[in-house]
Amino acid sequence: MKIRMERATVVFNIMGYALITILTVLCLLPFLLIVSGSFTPEIQIISKGFSLIPETFSLDAYKAAFSNPKQILDGYKVTIFITVVGTAVGLFLTSMAGFVLSRKDFKYRDQLSFFIYLTTLFSGGLIPWYILITKHLDLKDTYMALIVPTLLSAWNIILMKNFMKSIPDSIVESAKIDGAGEFTIYLKLILPLSGPGLATIGLFMALGYWNDWFMANLFITSESHYPLQFLLYKILASAAVLKTNVAGNLSPTFQPPAETLKMAAAVIATGPIVFLYPFVQRFFVKGLTIGAVKG
Amino acid sequence: MKTKIKTMGTVLVSTAIMASMLAACGSGNNNSNNSSNASASPSTEASGNTNSGNTAEAKTPDTSKKVELTWYLLGDPAPDQQKVVAEWNKMLSADLNTTVKLNFTTWTDWQTKYNLLLASGEKVDMIFASSWADFYKFANQGAFMPLNDLLPTYAPTTWSSVSEQDWKEATVNDKIYAIPATYPEYTPDGLVYRDDWRQEFGLPEIKDVDSIEAYLDGVKKNKGVTPINGKAYNEVFTMFKASQGYQQIGGDSGVIVAKSYDTPRDIVAYPFTPEFEAWVKKMKTWSEKGFWKSDTLSDQKEAGDAIKTGQGAVYWRNAPGAGGFITGMEKSNPDIKLGYFPFSRFHNLTMPTLSVNNAMAIPKSAPNAERSLMVLDKLRNDPKYYDLMSYGLEGTDYSMDADGKHIVTPPAGVEAKDFKGYGIASWGYRVESMERVKQAGGWSGFDALLEEFKSQSKPNIFAQVIMDYAPVKSQQAAVNSVIQQYGMPLMMGLVPDVDKAIATYRKQLEAAGVNDVLKYVQEQANKSFDAQGLK
Repeated sequence: MKIRMERATVVFNIMGYALITILTVLCLLPFLLIVSGSFTPEIQIISKGFSLIPETFSLDAYKAAFSNPKQILDGYKVTIFITVVGTAVGLFLTSMAGFVLSRKDFKYRDQLSFFIYLTTLFSGGLIPWYILITKHLDLKDTYMALIVPTLLSAWNIILMKNFMKSIPDSIVESAKIDGAGEFTIYLKLILPLSGPGLATIGLFMALGYWNDWFMANLFITSESHYPLQFLLYKILASAAVLKTNVAGNLSPTFQPPAETLKMAAAVIATGPIVFLYPFVQRFFVKGLTIGAVKG
Repeated sequence: MKTKIKTMGTVLVSTAIMASMLAACGSGNNNSNNSSNASASPSTEASGNTNSGNTAEAKTPDTSKKVELTWYLLGDPAPDQQKVVAEWNKMLSADLNTTVKLNFTTWTDWQTKYNLLLASGEKVDMIFASSWADFYKFANQGAFMPLNDLLPTYAPTTWSSVSEQDWKEATVNDKIYAIPATYPEYTPDGLVYRDDWRQEFGLPEIKDVDSIEAYLDGVKKNKGVTPINGKAYNEVFTMFKASQGYQQIGGDSGVIVAKSYDTPRDIVAYPFTPEFEAWVKKMKTWSEKGFWKSDTLSDQKEAGDAIKTGQGAVYWRNAPGAGGFITGMEKSNPDIKLGYFPFSRFHNLTMPTLSVNNAMAIPKSAPNAERSLMVLDKLRNDPKYYDLMSYGLEGTDYSMDADGKHIVTPPAGVEAKDFKGYGIASWGYRVESMERVKQAGGWSGFDALLEEFKSQSKPNIFAQVIMDYAPVKSQQAAVNSVIQQYGMPLMMGLVPDVDKAIATYRKQLEAAGVNDVLKYVQEQANKSFDAQGLK
């Protein structure tokens, strides 16, 4: 049997699809421009500007970018490593903190929440933070410096706590009656039930680690430890500095990278993370709304 | 960004001015009877050192303890940096029982990083320092180690070879805080232009603002090309300053300038001068003639790129930058002939950059300052070290010229297209006599220009004025945004009614507190001029 749609619904659907299509195209265009820009010969960009479909096709930018493939491969390795390790450890810690704070029978729940919440309002500032990490924790030029500083965020803990609050207490109680310890409850019951929340926060963290260049900028001095985003940003920054008058002090042979190279670098750096979205998307939507209602 | 550029520009110009002024002072009879001032007597000590050859040996510093140093350079590492540093460390451990971990700030957010390195008291043994990286401010705040006592013992060759004047420029509050590079540069602004078009259309030789106008007009009419095709603000603004003889103070002083080199204490805000009025009226006509596009202020394109494609004719560069640009074009577009007009010809005046325009300094928290100085001394004066750390590995990065004085790139046996070129941020320890590459990328016209600059050189008195704008910070920020909003369109002749726009601009500047800034600059400048012994 066919479900008959009302005329208004049909019109609404058509309009809706049309609108979404236009918006999608608008979102895709800039990315397409970057991709096609990376395949355009440099001289054409200078004389005619960017175009959506390159008149002539050139792989020069990619050849230049991969002329030193070790650097980019190292960058990928570092970035994937810190993203995986950082997200896994971060999720573990965040969910544990969220679990503890969501339990009503934890006596100092409010005080601890306040303590965590306070850090979102007040912080020591850049220089004390820098001194802590370089001098006292001695993390300079280690992978730890890329992972540890962003491992836990107060915002994620609060989001996690609110998510776990929606899990009925009776589940915890029943497990207790069966003789489960706190950690077993957390591991066997709470975690599996927190799928959407974990996916959401995990995606936040993974994106954060993937896109982070600031930690590397401050703390990493050996080239082999540079993550991908920092490599990319480095290319752009040396182009930018050439446009300032500092350039006058530098050697005149110091050449800026080509426009096309920038585009190619952007494609290389953003490529893989784009593919992460479809896999976690279904959790993502649910997780976000749960956080929103409760938050 | 634009203000930053301008700021940098002003800093540079004033630095150059100051350096040349100081140089002149120094070569004259600057008999400082202030004997407590150690910086005033480097040459005497140095000669004492060389005379007593045997006693110097007794003074040879103890290097029995193996030390690892941490150095920071401002800039990017070269692709094969690690190999070069490994080679360097081999030499260093043999000669000085030392290794150096050479770090680079890279250009990513370098100001923040540089500030943090100095503010956090990290263990750094030597760091690049420069007047454009706030050397005077940091020295004043005590971020660097005073070197007066260390230099004669641990860097004797450098101590005697660097001129008194250069040391003086690295001196703050009677203490030397940096080892300046010995690489005098002149960086006057100027215009690169297409000389083949000038000849083709029989346009006049460029020598003043009128001939520039005639040239731009000729290009526009005959070729139908927008002469300054891209961002044109720097071209126009630096031309304005240079043609009026205005000098910026302490780097970037925004709208505050000294009216001329000869009257350094006559400090004004230029938008309030009749000269400015006349200039912007002229610029209005230039803009109407289509010398630049109406979207020039938002354009992100460099005017130089347009020259490459035959769609532009004029590009603003300082002299060494012009050399680099022109030699680059000779390779990529040999059919285009370029000329260069330095704005210094308006007033026949050039100022060298300050010696501390590029320098090396030792942070206060350095654990091994002595060894660090010894390494630097070696680096600056031993050709083996200097070549390695400036040009890379012989055979891979360059090969020696037949005369053994200059280098050839790419080296013999390496294809030009596979050749990467070795570039290191070596600005802080460059020594002119050790260089194997000519300034300005080997541009053939540069030697003549350099002669010209040297003959009209005056000491750079303006760059040493130390200004952090702390007391007038909010006014300065407000003034800068007024410049952006009202000043720049006016300068480019992009306003419908010039008189009205000038009135608005002045009113807005006053409301933003330009007079407070002016007063502050005047005070600081007078303080510095007093210290420099100027009238």
